[in-house]
Amino acid sequence: MADWEEVKRLAADFQKVQLSSTTQKLSERNCIEIVSWLIDRKMLDLIFTSDGKEYITPNQLVSDIRGELYDHGGRINLVELAKVIGVDLAHINTYLNDVLKGNKEIQSVLGQLVDSSYLIRIAGEINEKLSQQGQINISDLTIQYDLPADFLQSQVVEKNLGKIIFGKQDKNDSKVYFTESFISRTKAKIKGSLAGLTRPTPITSILNNIDISEKLFFSLFDQTALYGTLTGRMTGAQYIPNVYARTQNEWVNHFYKQNGYLEFDALSRLGITDQKTYIKKQLVNQEYEILHSCIVSKSILERVDADIDECISSKSFIDLQNNLPSVFNQKDEEMILNLILTSQKRSQTILIENYLLSKAFVDKLLKDCESLIQEKAKNTVESGKYQQYQISLQAASSKNQKAEELEEKVDKREERRKKAAGGKSGGGTQGRETKTKSTKKAARGGNRNNSESDGGEKEEKKVLEIINFDDAKDVLQLPLEEEGIEDDILQQIIEYLLPKLNEDALQQAANIFATTIADRTANRRQTHNEIQSKLNALISDVRLFEKGLKLLSADIQAQLIKYLLKSVCTDIVTEILNYIASEQNLAPPTENLSNEQRLKFVNDLPSEYKHTILPVVKSLTGQSIEDFLMTVETALSACSMILKKIDKKKDRTLVLNHKYQLLEELNKSEDLALILHLAVVAIFTTATQTMLHCSGRHVSGVLSFLKQYLSDEQVMELISYHDFVTLMLSGGSEAENAKEKLKEKVSTIKKIANDFKKPGTEKS
Amino acid sequence: MVDESTRKTLSNIPLLKTKAGPREKELWVQRLKEEYQSLIKYVQNNKDADNDWFRLESNKEGTKWFGKCWFIHELLKYEFDVEFEIPVTYPTTAPEIALPELDGKTAKMYRGGKICLSDHFKPLWARNVPKFGIGHAMALGLGPWLAVEIPDLISKGVISYKEKSEK
Repeated sequence: MADWEEVKRLAADFQKVQLSSTTQKLSERNCIEIVSWLIDRKMLDLIFTSDGKEYITPNQLVSDIRGELYDHGGRINLVELAKVIGVDLAHINTYLNDVLKGNKEIQSVLGQLVDSSYLIRIAGEINEKLSQQGQINISDLTIQYDLPADFLQSQVVEKNLGKIIFGKQDKNDSKVYFTESFISRTKAKIKGSLAGLTRPTPITSILNNIDISEKLFFSLFDQTALYGTLTGRMTGAQYIPNVYARTQNEWVNHFYKQNGYLEFDALSRLGITDQKTYIKKQLVNQEYEILHSCIVSKSILERVDADIDECISSKSFIDLQNNLPSVFNQKDEEMILNLILTSQKRSQTILIENYLLSKAFVDKLLKDCESLIQEKAKNTVESGKYQQYQISLQAASSKNQKAEELEEKVDKREERRKKAAGGKSGGGTQGRETKTKSTKKAARGGNRNNSESDGGEKEEKKVLEIINFDDAKDVLQLPLEEEGIEDDILQQIIEYLLPKLNEDALQQAANIFATTIADRTANRRQTHNEIQSKLNALISDVRLFEKGLKLLSADIQAQLIKYLLKSVCTDIVTEILNYIASEQNLAPPTENLSNEQRLKFVNDLPSEYKHTILPVVKSLTGQSIEDFLMTVETALSACSMILKKIDKKKDRTLVLNHKYQLLEELNKSEDLALILHLAVVAIFTTATQTMLHCSGRHVSGVLSFLKQYLSDEQVMELISYHDFVTLMLSGGSEAENAKEKLKEKVSTIKKIANDFKKPGTEKS
Repeated sequence: MVDESTRKTLSNIPLLKTKAGPREKELWVQRLKEEYQSLIKYVQNNKDADNDWFRLESNKEGTKWFGKCWFIHELLKYEFDVEFEIPVTYPTTAPEIALPELDGKTAKMYRGGKICLSDHFKPLWARNVPKFGIGHAMALGLGPWLAVEIPDLISKGVISYKEKSEK
């Protein structure tokens, strides 16, 4: 039975299994115990793995480390090593020395193990890189290989320099290596860029352009620096090409030689910062003066000096701006003048901005203004501004109440004077107007001198501005422009002159004022007298006329009275009114006033005049000469005039004079009608020893009155002449004829008149 | 309940499939083969774990088994004869393992030296018919029993160490 066989076999197997020796196996715990016991007893030297499940013998560890190092291509981190081998890092560190001792090719660097094969490899790499880039820096390598710079330097690069790495160590910086070709390339670059530069250039921009490190540039610069210099060894330094320096110096020399001055600005534009020392260095043998913004040569100074001399001697001016190079600013000019002007010259010149004016020139200008001063001063005095000014001066000097009262008095007096002087515009308010005007002007003056202190401004206000800027300008502009002085400086000059002009003008005004006051008082008295005597004469005429009138018949008398009132009396009234008008500063009434105008004028007069004048004016339209004479007397007394007493003797001479006047006129006269008129009046005067005032119309009436004094033929002659005259004046066809006749008779008429003697005397 | 190590050894003993007693000629052979294979595996396991503690062999039919078992206590090896028969109702009924040497020396024993198995053994076995075999019986029955009783007996002085030479 196969099954049983199988069972047998299985049974045999079972026996065999049971009889086979048992494996002598220790439990894990036991093992650990045994091992730790052994380690304790120092009978075994084992290293625990980090998971604690394995032991490693030190030898194994050392060989493991080496193996791993090899595995990792010659370089391994200790920490990584510990992980890979599975041993605590401490153990690796303890056995590191064993590893290194056994093999000189292995090195421990910064927690890493590195062997020589790796070093050779990176040396190769470095060489490759070096040949590619031309230069290499250890610090770059440090970053790339994560190895300390010293190590790389000493162990890798320097060891293999010339063997694996073909390059040169930088003498200045041992950490930099480069190839010969790189050096020469860089040098060429630097040379090229430097040779190309003509202007001072910051190093940084050069470096940016040629893409070279600063250090390299500076180390190579000395080997290439043929074309210029560096201002320093810093980043901010500048490269100054020799060409540039040379041209700069040349330019400076030439410019100075040519122009005689040298501007600091120009130098700084050229890039020279310390101009003064530079100039000192550059212009060694030159004589020059250092000014504010430039230097100037002696020759220019001499020229200016000469110019000023000439200016003084020629009594003109010089424009420094034009005479000096345009770069000189005001400060420079001042400095120059300080250098040049001796005190003597200084006294002869005046400096206004850029202009140097000789005293003489200024005096001339002042002289030009003299007429203006005169005129203005006169105007000022006449317009009363001067008086106003004086008052204000007084007011300013004494501020107490008393002074003010005084001022008021003065004011009034002044006002009256002004009226007397015949001010052009209305009376009462004028004073105040001018006052405000003047203060306004003064304020303007003050504004102009704003720069002055407050006190100065106050002072300024007090000064009357007689001549203002525009006036002076008007006068001076022309002569100054002829001299070639520009407008802006004109202003300056005028401003300079103005105070002087004003002072002069003020003086003038004072003089004029003094004289006018004297003049005016005298003048007034005179006119007053004149008018008085004139009025007296007229009035006495009127009186005499009246006397003559009374001889005539009543109807003619009335006519003649009317005529007399209209002519002579009206003249008298007009005269009086004129006088009053001038006295009151009113617009003088026109010559030929209608009665209404006259009345109106009188009504406008102040009451003191009005009461006395009004009856006079009214009497003009009346019928009585006596009324007129009476009223005139009172009116004249109101005008502070005296009517002379009636003097019979004087009347006589007056009548005589009148007669001779008439006869003289008669003899001279050619007018046919006038001859008759004059003849009749003359005869009347002679006949009655009175005067007659009549018009041609009254001639026939008078003639008929004269009949009693004349012979018949004379009367015939006169009447026939009169008829012809009336014929002639009436015009018509017979006018010419009558004229002829009259001409024939003129001599007879003249003769009659001349020969006529007073009948009384004839008779007696 | 069986302890952890027992359970582990038990799980390492291959289970049986054939349910057959000694009377069933054909199937018993089958069963016997499986028993052997299981035992071989078990012994092998024990040897591997340095835990060999018995020797067994059977008669030709495989109904009677006998051998030795030993227990090491305080570095002394105590060895006992072991024998048992396969019951007719096997595998439903578990074999009764006996240690004749110890008959009458301990209370936990039936007459003839059959060991008293723990209360757990029988229900466990019943639940695992026919999967459990002789190996299981050894591991679950005899092993624990020895581990408990022998140190006790030694301490009582009932049994004493016998030199190998005496044997």
